Amino acid sequence: MPDTKDFKTRLKIAKSKLEKNMNQDDEKRGSFIGFAFKLGTELVAAVVVGTIIGFILDTWFDTKPWLIIIFFFLGSAAGMLNVIKTAKRIQEES
Amino acid sequence: MATNPMHQFSVHRIGPEIKIAGIDLSFTNASLFMVISAFTIFVFLSLGTKEKNLIPGKLQLISEMLYNFIAKMISDTAGSKAKPYFPFIFSLFTFVLFCNMIGMLPYSFTVTSHIIVTLVLAIFIFIAVTVIGFIKHGLGYLKLFVPSGVPKLLLPLIIVIEIISYLSRPVSLSVRLFANMMAGHTMLKVFGGFVISLGLLGGWLPLGFSVALTGLEILVAFLQAYVFAILTCIYLNDALNLHH
Repeated sequence: MPDTKDFKTRLKIAKSKLEKNMNQDDEKRGSFIGFAFKLGTELVAAVVVGTIIGFILDTWFDTKPWLIIIFFFLGSAAGMLNVIKTAKRIQEES
Repeated sequence: MATNPMHQFSVHRIGPEIKIAGIDLSFTNASLFMVISAFTIFVFLSLGTKEKNLIPGKLQLISEMLYNFIAKMISDTAGSKAKPYFPFIFSLFTFVLFCNMIGMLPYSFTVTSHIIVTLVLAIFIFIAVTVIGFIKHGLGYLKLFVPSGVPKLLLPLIIVIEIISYLSRPVSLSVRLFANMMAGHTMLKVFGGFVISLGLLGGWLPLGFSVALTGLEILVAFLQAYVFAILTCIYLNDALNLHH
């Protein structure tokens, strides 16, 4: 009988180890989901802000529609910059 | 019964109409649920910290975990210099979390599914972080917009792009929370409507979806509060430790 007892304790240790690892994985995955949710809006928000700035400046200087076009592209660039920054941050953390 | 999935987001007045200087300041269901969230946090934390046992009870354990969670998050993302801002980030996180979670209860109202609420929070954070940055670094804070190692010819273009990127922070912060909460709750309501309209025969599949979505929504409610708080920490980090 000592064999089965030994086996049971070993099984217990192995199970607890496995649980520990799984918990760690879950935590990591949780933060990655958080970052994944972040990326999309990051890109869109900058485009929206850029376009709004372009629109305001256009009505200000009466140069419709040139500034809104320029700032739309600048906003897109800023959005990509945001995404790159976030991606770099994820890389640093993992 | 309201079958319109957007009906749950309507704000209506409770009690008398209050108008000060032409601005409608009446007490609405949105304000009611904000008060409920704040009150729940107050009761929960004061009960949790009332008895200080070496072996904590359930409430004490949860409030201590909450404290540790935020403290670790701040020290991981913004460093030790951000310690003085712990109360602010703690209240921000708990408020958003409780608003989201209370919104998950049936017949309740989700405050964070309105963009005006999240936008005000985000703009407040944005202004606070900018002011902190200027206080800590003076005009040197403007270096944030000038990345190192950029050719001089490209500099004007890069500065404009960096400024747009900086200004997009409150927008992305608020839209993310608002969109996630609103989309989730609308989806729940739509699937709930399917259960009713398909009846006893076909209603089981959408009912299953509804149950799964409720679980997902609870995850999203926590995750969005977490993301909101951690982004505040990241912005604070930019303002406190200027290294670009």
